[in-house]
Amino acid sequence: MQSVAGDAVDALYDNISGGVSEEIKAERRAELGLDKPFLVQYANWLKGLVQGDMGISYLSGKAVFPTFMSKLPATLLLMVSSISLTVTVSIPLGVLAAVRQNRILDYVVRGLTFAGNSLPGFFTSLLLIYFFSLKLRLLPVMGGTISLKSIILPTLTLAIAMSSKYIRQVRVTVLEELQKDYVTGARARGVRESVIMYANVLKTAMLTIITLLALSIGSLLGGTAIIETIFMWDGVGKLAVDSILMRDYPMIQAYVIWMALIYVAVNLVTDLLYHFLDPRIRRAHSA
Amino acid sequence: MKKARGIGSLLAATMLALSMVVSGAANVAAASSGTGEAKGKVFNYGTMAYGVAMGNVGVNPHEGYSGWSTIRYGVGETLFKFNAAMELEPWLAKGYERIDPYTIRIDLRDDVFFSNGEKMTGESVKACLEHLLAAHNRAPKDLQIKSITAHGQSVTITSEAKVPALLNYLSDPYGAIINMKAGISEDKNVVGTGPYVATQISDTEISLVANGQYWNGTPKIDRINIKSITDGDTLTMALQSGEIDAAQGLPYASLQLFRSDDRYKINSASTSRVYQACMNYKSEVIQDDAVRKAIAMGIDKEGFTSVLLQGNGSPTVGPFPANFKFGGDAVKGEPYDIEGAKQVLETAGWVDSDGDGIREKGGHKLTIDWLTYTSRQELPLLAESVQATLKLAGMDVKVNATDNSKDFLKAGKWDVYASAFVAAPTGDPQYYFTTHVVASSDYNRGGYYNDMVEKLVESLGNEFDPAKRGELAVKISQQILDDHAYAYASHLKMSLVMKEGVTGFVAHPSDYYEITANLDKNE
Amino acid sequence: MKAGFRISKSIRFRILLSLAGVLLVVSALSPLLAPYDPYVQDLSQALQPPSGMHWLGTDRYGRDMLSRVMVGGRTTLYTALSLVAVISVFGTLVGIVSGYKGGRIDTFLMRVSDIFLAFPGMVFAIAVAGVLGGGLINAVMALAFISWPKYARLARGQVLSIKSLSYFSAARLSGSGTVKIIFRHILPNITGIILVTATLDIGTMIMELAALSFLGLGATPPTPEWGSMMSNGRSMLQTSPWVILAPGCAIFISVVIFNLLGDTVRDVLDPKNNQ
Repeated sequence: MQSVAGDAVDALYDNISGGVSEEIKAERRAELGLDKPFLVQYANWLKGLVQGDMGISYLSGKAVFPTFMSKLPATLLLMVSSISLTVTVSIPLGVLAAVRQNRILDYVVRGLTFAGNSLPGFFTSLLLIYFFSLKLRLLPVMGGTISLKSIILPTLTLAIAMSSKYIRQVRVTVLEELQKDYVTGARARGVRESVIMYANVLKTAMLTIITLLALSIGSLLGGTAIIETIFMWDGVGKLAVDSILMRDYPMIQAYVIWMALIYVAVNLVTDLLYHFLDPRIRRAHSA
Repeated sequence: MKKARGIGSLLAATMLALSMVVSGAANVAAASSGTGEAKGKVFNYGTMAYGVAMGNVGVNPHEGYSGWSTIRYGVGETLFKFNAAMELEPWLAKGYERIDPYTIRIDLRDDVFFSNGEKMTGESVKACLEHLLAAHNRAPKDLQIKSITAHGQSVTITSEAKVPALLNYLSDPYGAIINMKAGISEDKNVVGTGPYVATQISDTEISLVANGQYWNGTPKIDRINIKSITDGDTLTMALQSGEIDAAQGLPYASLQLFRSDDRYKINSASTSRVYQACMNYKSEVIQDDAVRKAIAMGIDKEGFTSVLLQGNGSPTVGPFPANFKFGGDAVKGEPYDIEGAKQVLETAGWVDSDGDGIREKGGHKLTIDWLTYTSRQELPLLAESVQATLKLAGMDVKVNATDNSKDFLKAGKWDVYASAFVAAPTGDPQYYFTTHVVASSDYNRGGYYNDMVEKLVESLGNEFDPAKRGELAVKISQQILDDHAYAYASHLKMSLVMKEGVTGFVAHPSDYYEITANLDKNE
Repeated sequence: MKAGFRISKSIRFRILLSLAGVLLVVSALSPLLAPYDPYVQDLSQALQPPSGMHWLGTDRYGRDMLSRVMVGGRTTLYTALSLVAVISVFGTLVGIVSGYKGGRIDTFLMRVSDIFLAFPGMVFAIAVAGVLGGGLINAVMALAFISWPKYARLARGQVLSIKSLSYFSAARLSGSGTVKIIFRHILPNITGIILVTATLDIGTMIMELAALSFLGLGATPPTPEWGSMMSNGRSMLQTSPWVILAPGCAIFISVVIFNLLGDTVRDVLDPKNNQ
């Protein structure tokens, strides 16, 4: 996974002054093995990978794996917080919009979800910073030091985009469910509306959320890259963006591999949850 | 849809996740607030110039470009320093005596102490420089030192070759004097002589405390936090919200915001980072003298710096800025003159015969491939500006602003290559000429060759007298301009923006010195 | 009641369709309609606020924002549109072949799409664009790489369910050829759902192009493209907000229209949701 687009040594020295002799650049390339043919570099990288060595960063010269690991918790924290916020917001709003279908509340919620879905994440975050940090002076601009206050804005930015998708999906699911025979039956038997909601419909909504989670974890991982860059959140997303700009391939490779692993792991957990939650799948398997 | 059982467990899981987040965040918050609530004056400084991508993480001057951080953030000092005209002044040294072209004795101050209390002596400077030569990648080639001897408060340096700019090179940030007995820590911290001492260093932040035993005054701020902020908008809004007291590297659009606000002030200095256009002599159309001349006449330097850079650059004639004796008006170049450029092209036989606004000669359209890159925000702006102005003169400029400019350079698919370059990082002109205008130069991408320039650059290498070196520099620059081998657009003006109450925070043309003992802040 | 509802739905559908049509036609004809040349700079007119002369103001080169937004629409909308067209056609084909043929071909094609699905979308796009370098073409390729498997999965699922229906077996028994079966029986049945997904995807693609632009991996100057216009103008949010708001509103309006259109198409095609 190397490109034709210049290399890390050029990128670094251009960034600093552009005034370094080719001799010094060549030395650095030799140190990093960048002077070797592409296939040799790739083979070396693969060899290292099999032995659990992801190589060293072309920029910092430090081992990739520990650097990556030191920044991973911040990203995971941000992901967990935004997912939690999304789930806590989406279910009630989705259900509410469904119950009040085609009434004002429904329209307001749906309007908001459309809005949240139609603005690029970096723009939303700029607006949020502008209002919360500059106008209201409530929250800090940067997440440089991780704290309860500094996590709010990045979480909010990510959650707005995600909730907009989730709320719509929950609403549709609940609407579908409310048409089902068992609900009609329960109503006919005089079961209270709230009981129907909590005992039956909500469970289904949960399943929808899980499906969505598995699907949207990918865009969330990508989204954190942008949001972390804006909020100076010292996680792997920002690391990845910096590495791309500086052509630090070992770091990009580590990022992609690890994100894929996390993604697959999340999907696996989702499948297990499904199996656990959905009796039909469970029975099909045991049968 | 699927029905669910066990919703309770799922809800429990969600709650667990939520509580983990909250408690996790609270833990981290507690940990960070523990260090943040120290007494005294705290100065928070946001900068674009610190970080892995700048190659200057840590404050160990003997590694890559980290010396910039050592000097900028007041941890270490060099033997000599540059004044506003980029001339050398004593700093940790008292003075020097050149014994012969190969030998120089540097006398050190007697009152300088490292931040760990140890005195700076000839021996400690010798140990530091020897380690620099052993560990650093650029220093040995610049300095060409054969041996160093120490006598009390002086060191004597013997060179392998004539190095007229030896003291300039020693004033490069890598020449910061550190205590080698204290060594270099795992996190790239060192013991220097500066007004501040680094206590914590990471890829994104440096924490400093005042050095109580500083030899040259008393630092007025108790704690300083240097924060790497690589996004321009975040940097802007962090300064507006008061999270930082000063910022370096703000986007031009934001500077305007602070300029019109009396709660902030701006301090700027013209640096020697020059935006230049290199002509490719291997390209047929560029070999035409008239075309090169017309390009030089077609760059609207005033418009570029005042409108596109919003005043954050100074138009220039030659490679060196006006604060240099051999820069500014010392050389003459082509003024911006579209009518004149038309004339020049017309006379040379470039005529627009098919009426499409682009001139032709011998059946070839006057098309220029303008290669540049995007990592310096000014370069694409320059390209677009030149594209518009040269079109008026009947030249079709095809801009190629790309991240892989190096590949296009190698392939030779370009007529003009616009780049940014720090022309005189150590105040000396020789560096620019040896890297750009002689046949053996690494950066002479266009294959420019002039016998006289070769000879002049050679004599520069043997001249020790600064005044005469300046004269030679003017001659060489003038010849480059007369040949239209390079066109120079402007120099970067670097700006520090700070809250109104901040004092003693001054931008320096060298871009080396930022935090000094003078820095103070009144709320 | 029910019929009236569906007609009103289809009126909504028509309105949205004509809005989308207007968007597409205006951007297609933008070189003719734009009041100014979107590339011509006039530094003396830089960063002018909206006025009678420049309805949406000018950018820092003095270029007319309205003209740039119009011409930018051509880049953005048609890029997104062709991107979605390519991935939906390709993905659907793969899905149909996979589902129809079954067996080893099915296994192979699905494993290939699994590999692409195993990478989180944007992460992969960032990596691809990062390796290939910036530029609109590379950004589109990156997004295409990660987006086609969705359609393959969708189409395959549909084909499998059609295969189990009796009329399908009948058609097969009557000796219809593969091509005929695909065109007569399979395609008409899956076009609807593919169309809905594709319409909803247009908005997504516009947004993802904008995200890549923020990372410097989108369209390169001076090509006007909404996402890169926004990300290039973001430092002027406080000083000259029109530079970012003009393309921002354009993105907002287009994405909303295409999303609403997608929703409406789904409702019209799937009467079950209407009750």
